[in-house]
Amino acid sequence: MEVNNTFSPVDIATSGLRAHSKQIEVISSNVANARTTDVGNGKPYRRLEATFKTEDDGIEGVSLDKILTDMSDFPRIFDPSNPKADEYGYVSMPNVNVPIEMMNLTIATRAYQANAAILKRYQQMVETTLELLR
Amino acid sequence: MSKTNSIIDFLEAGIRAESLRQKAIANNVANLETPGYRRIDVKFEELLAKALDSPGAVELSEVEPQIHQPQQTPVNSNGNDVNLESEVGQMVKNTLRYKAYIRLLNKRYNQMELAMDVK
Repeated sequence: MEVNNTFSPVDIATSGLRAHSKQIEVISSNVANARTTDVGNGKPYRRLEATFKTEDDGIEGVSLDKILTDMSDFPRIFDPSNPKADEYGYVSMPNVNVPIEMMNLTIATRAYQANAAILKRYQQMVETTLELLR
Repeated sequence: MSKTNSIIDFLEAGIRAESLRQKAIANNVANLETPGYRRIDVKFEELLAKALDSPGAVELSEVEPQIHQPQQTPVNSNGNDVNLESEVGQMVKNTLRYKAYIRLLNKRYNQMELAMDVK
């Protein structure tokens, strides 16, 4: 006899909550380090991006695929008085664009809330069914 | 050594399992930030499925719920593997199963009373 996963919508919604929570973690790391000119090796902070994947042979929910490093160029700001300025007076800043991160944060928050709503609605639905047993 | 085929015994074992699981989930959530803590769970459904596979009556001691530590979950930087969203999901399922078992048990008793014509 197989063990039946009766409440799999709960597991699927939970996987959505975990994945988007991880994305919010990555976004908050980017925003916190938006002006970190030196991560310890002389280079500025590199933006991180979370990617998702799913099993394509069933209804299994979402999981985190990879946390990619954004390899685009560091923007250079002219700031000769900065202790990190090079010989031309330019400082390399992290490749984080805060307005874009905030937009991604809104998207991730909405996705998280949508998954939480599904969890709640499914719970209410099953409890309504259980009322039949009263 | 008590063998049974009674729905009532299975439902009661299920209720004990969910009560134990409730404690396990509470323990996991309490230790959300404890370094090195691994989450615990209750083994019951697999034991019941395995016991029901073999013919004849089921040995009750074989389906007693047990606490176990899965050790399969990914661990974060301080050795802790508890994820709040997962525990919330487990808690939702736990509540729903508990309610289902309690009500099914109630229905079974009502049926028996009806059969006995108890006023």
